[in-house]
Amino acid sequence: MLQPLFEWMYGVGIYKSSIYLGPGVNLVHLVAMCTFMGALLIVDLRLLGTGLTTQPVQQVARSAQPWLIGGLLLLTLTGIPAVMTVALEEYANPVFWFKMYVLLAAVIFTFTVRRQVANADEARVPPVWRKLVALVSIVLWMSVAAGGRLIMYL
Amino acid sequence: MWPPPFLEFFEWVATLPGSQYLREDAPNFFGMFLTIHVLSLCLFLGLVLMMDLRLLGLAHLDTPITQIQKRLFPWQFVGAVVMSLSGLVLFYAQPVLYWGKGFYWIKMLVVLPLAMLNLLVFHYTTYRSVGEWDTAAKPPPAARLAGVLSIVLWVGVLAFGRLVAYDWWTIVEGGLKGN
Repeated sequence: MLQPLFEWMYGVGIYKSSIYLGPGVNLVHLVAMCTFMGALLIVDLRLLGTGLTTQPVQQVARSAQPWLIGGLLLLTLTGIPAVMTVALEEYANPVFWFKMYVLLAAVIFTFTVRRQVANADEARVPPVWRKLVALVSIVLWMSVAAGGRLIMYL
Repeated sequence: MWPPPFLEFFEWVATLPGSQYLREDAPNFFGMFLTIHVLSLCLFLGLVLMMDLRLLGLAHLDTPITQIQKRLFPWQFVGAVVMSLSGLVLFYAQPVLYWGKGFYWIKMLVVLPLAMLNLLVFHYTTYRSVGEWDTAAKPPPAARLAGVLSIVLWVGVLAFGRLVAYDWWTIVEGGLKGN
C-alpha cells in the first residue's frame, strides 16, 4: 500500500548534494536520541522509585517534558531523511517495520497512559502501577532504539 | 604518526582466545554488541545531558544540583560500565580494524580523556562550593562552563565513535562493520 510513497521518497535523492549530509543528519539523530532518552529515563527511574526520589513525580515529569518533546521532534525531523535515502531497502526490511510499529505504540503509550500516571497526584496511583508504566515505557523506547540500530544488521 | 604505532600489539590481541571466534564464527555478535553499546549510551549520555542542562540552568531548575548529581550518578555509572564492557568486546573481536581507524584513536586518546578530565576537574574544584549554589537557577560561570564542556566533549566521543563506522581515514578495509 505504501510502496508508491517509498518509491517517491527514494526518488527525491535527499542526500545527493553531499556525502556529508547522511553522517551529519545521523549524528543529530543520535544527539536527539540521547536528549530524548535522558528526559524519558529521568522520569521512568523516578516512577520506578529510584533516581530523583526527593522530588515529586509530577515535578520531574514537568521539567523533563520540553526536552522529551523537543528530542522527539528532532528525532522525527532527522529520521525522515534517513529513511528517504534508503527508502526501498527500508520498505523491504522487517526490522524497519518492527521499529515503526513499536514507535507508534511507544508514542501512544507515552502521551496517554504514561502522561496520566506521571502527572497524577502521587497518592492516587498505586506504586505498582507507576512501576509497571515505567517498565513498559523503558522496554518500548529501548526496543525502538535497538530496532534502529539493528536495521543494518538483521 | 600515521599509520599508527603498536600494530604488533593489536595483531597479538587478535590471536587471543575468543577474538577470532567472535570475528569469524559469530555472525550476530557485532550487531548485538553494537546495540548493547548504543542502549547503554542512551542511559549514560541521556542522564549526563540532563545533569549538564541543570548546570546550565536550562532544565530541572526545581531540583537541587546535589540531588541531580547524587541520585543520577548510580545510573550513569551503570550505563558507563555496560558501555565500556561492550566497547571492549567490540574492540577485542577486531583490534586490527580499530588500529587502522583514525577516528578511533581520536576518540580514545583525545576526546574521551578530555571528557573525563573535565568531569574530574569539575568534581574536585568547582563542585566543592556547590553548597552556595545548590538551588540556584543559574549556577556560577565555572559550573556552566563545565556543563558546556561536558556536552561538547561527550557528544564528541559519540561523534568520533560513530565516524569509525564509515570508510574515512581507514587503513584496514573490511571487517565486521556497517553504517
